[in-house]
Amino acid sequence: MIQALSVVGLLAAICIVASVRSATFFSWQNLVYNVLTNAAYLGIIACGMTLVMVAGGFDLSVGSTTTVCSVAAVLTLQAMAGQPVWLAIAVAVAVTTATGVMLGAVNGASVAYVGVNPFVTTLSTMLIFRGIALILTHGGQTVSVPLAFKSVVGRIYWGKVSLFGVAEYQVTIPILIFVGVFAVSLYLLHLTRFGHYVYAVGGNENASWLAGINTSLVKSATYAICGLTCALAAVIYTGMSNTAQASSYGGLELVVIASVIVGGTPLGGGGGGLFFTLIGLLLLSVIENLLPQFGVQEEYRNIVRGLIILIVVAVDVLVRGSGKKARRT
Amino acid sequence: MMKPGDTILHMEGIVKTFQAVRALDGVDFDLGAGEIHALVGENGAGKSTLMNVLAGRFADYGGRIALFGRDVRLTNPRQALALGIGVIYQDLSVLGNLTVAENILLGHEPGGRAPGTLNRRALRARAQAVLDDLGFDLCVDEPVAPLSHAKQCLVEIAHAIRKDVRLLVFDEPTASLGADDVERLFEVIRGLKARGIGIVYISHRLAELPEIADRVTVLRDGKMVGMRPMADCKISVLSHMMLGRTLTEMFPPKRNTPGETILKVEGLSRPGMFHDITFELRAGEILGIAGLVGSGRTEIARAVFGAERAAGRCTLEGRVFARRSPRRSMARGIGMIQEDRKRDGIITGSSVALNVGASVLDRLSAMGVFLDPRRIRANARRMIERLAIRPPDPARAIQTLSGGNQQKVILGRWLARDPKVLILDEPTQGIDVGTKAQMYRLMMDLAAAGKGIILISSEFFEIVNLADRILVIRDGRIVREMPGPGTDVDALFAACVRKGDS
Repeated sequence: MIQALSVVGLLAAICIVASVRSATFFSWQNLVYNVLTNAAYLGIIACGMTLVMVAGGFDLSVGSTTTVCSVAAVLTLQAMAGQPVWLAIAVAVAVTTATGVMLGAVNGASVAYVGVNPFVTTLSTMLIFRGIALILTHGGQTVSVPLAFKSVVGRIYWGKVSLFGVAEYQVTIPILIFVGVFAVSLYLLHLTRFGHYVYAVGGNENASWLAGINTSLVKSATYAICGLTCALAAVIYTGMSNTAQASSYGGLELVVIASVIVGGTPLGGGGGGLFFTLIGLLLLSVIENLLPQFGVQEEYRNIVRGLIILIVVAVDVLVRGSGKKARRT
Repeated sequence: MMKPGDTILHMEGIVKTFQAVRALDGVDFDLGAGEIHALVGENGAGKSTLMNVLAGRFADYGGRIALFGRDVRLTNPRQALALGIGVIYQDLSVLGNLTVAENILLGHEPGGRAPGTLNRRALRARAQAVLDDLGFDLCVDEPVAPLSHAKQCLVEIAHAIRKDVRLLVFDEPTASLGADDVERLFEVIRGLKARGIGIVYISHRLAELPEIADRVTVLRDGKMVGMRPMADCKISVLSHMMLGRTLTEMFPPKRNTPGETILKVEGLSRPGMFHDITFELRAGEILGIAGLVGSGRTEIARAVFGAERAAGRCTLEGRVFARRSPRRSMARGIGMIQEDRKRDGIITGSSVALNVGASVLDRLSAMGVFLDPRRIRANARRMIERLAIRPPDPARAIQTLSGGNQQKVILGRWLARDPKVLILDEPTQGIDVGTKAQMYRLMMDLAAAGKGIILISSEFFEIVNLADRILVIRDGRIVREMPGPGTDVDALFAACVRKGDS
């Protein structure tokens, strides 16, 4: 809780400073089109990652999974060339979604049923999935959406909808999709028995198992859902350039994991949640947006990104007293 | 509904092996409805293993189990729960990050109207109903993590008692409870008995058994030694069956003579944990520290050792020492064997030799930098022989040794430094009978050689039979000093528990 509050405080402080120093920061244009739209696809994956991490695991393979999904989406569209646009897109979404869930399930099976720890599992699948993407693209060629579908697909990313019909305030489709995914994730995590079990397994997996909870199913389901969110993100992001490449989304996993951690979900799970992750993601996205605006050169940006994460978590550790409970024995 | 007297559980010839160790070697056990059957034995005797088989934790046991007249093969916890078996574990398995209500109904939460959702209002109401039924004073919305150990015990019990439970296992339930809580627990258990539930009561505190148990079965080294009706049983006989020897044979004769004061502790305090701790330790003396769980004994010892921060003054052999870290304390000649061997003692994955030599690696290295395998092995062999460590192989991985032998390795680690003061925190916990007796002899040898020993133990008969003086700790303060010889266990227990004493 303290960490989340400090992140909110830091975010507010940065926003205030930014709007003072830069005339364009607090404009609707910048905030909605730049910050939030860029963050939207990350946010979707972060919803899945939050579930995985609350249950006590984590997933390094999300970048590669998203890549495979985007390649699958484009290839499906290519295979559907000549069909009606809506049919092609519907099939592509179905195929992509199935791909994402399947890849996630592979992670889930390895972690929950074979027993390989999450780090080793997802490190391996990170490499394996990227290899699959290379094979599907015949060695790394860029694949493109067929010309006939380009404008509709592009609208998935670039399309705008007016808020409450007011023309000045428009939000992009990615943001709307993110809001939908976020709402569904909230429902899943806080209102269903499954979500309750996610917290239980993260809190004490052994006790949950002894209480009769199907811990293997819970854990593998979180990975499958995370794969699903990767697929959704891929669908959106394909619309940005109407192409897919095997080399994209590098480093994605680190940003998503960082959002969850900075937001306040502890590495062992059992606490934290979606709102925490949202705050973490907003902080990191705002900083991303401001780095070029404040003239921070390319070379220094990684240092800034890394320092923010380290400082936020260090402050939390120091304030909380390194997690040692004051109980007498 | 079962009638009292119906057999609800019949276990025959149960065998369970862990790697090379036969934890259970053909054990029989049965239980009737409305009966409280005590299962006793020293650590390592197999009591918890037998109940873990019943709880469905192991799929690979040998022997036959019949529940309510039907043969079953218990392979996973969910199956055991579905069959009406509930277990309250010794190392509590509560979920600290959830509330009391969520813990009580873990695994069978009431559903909401939409499929898959949780009905939180019904959850709280049902949990409250369970608490009211049992008479436990707990708040349903409280998070469990900050609760005291005793209260977490109650949560665990409330979780295990469900509408359809027919058989309940209590594994060392009173280990961390005060006298009032113990009495309340017994009331709860008697109430369950009246409902026809069969109860297995595991304990190694023999004194409480006549009050609660109908029958008692004794296990030793994985084998069943005897089964008797409680009424026909004398504690001393039970004790003999558990140990395979009489109590007096367990303890070595006193041959240490306390001399000059070597350690003086003055005004040791840490807000919230302990307050104004002042005592002296003499060379060649065994000073016992007694107190219930939660009294602060371990924290005080760790503070003296430098593992916890505390205000106050300590002098060793007349010179003040700073208690800043275990490393410094070690250099000054103080050693401490920690309470939790697995977490704070052994270095898992390392060999016996490296574990034994961990505190003196500087002396076992060429120029203090390069590890010298020959010196390390020689040191290990010396300790193995002196302490009779089995198996006598320096290269063995430490985690393959039994608890007792692991403890001997840790002791060897400290002996290598020849400390002037040695603090032992629950040194015989989780150790088989034979090794316990060996540890007692080693302690007496060390005291007779002029070392100052501080012994913290929950086993009152240990303290009473070994210590020259006993300090009683309650709520972080020293409330009494009692002599070792001559004090009996009940008096010591009473002193630890009684409120309003100064």
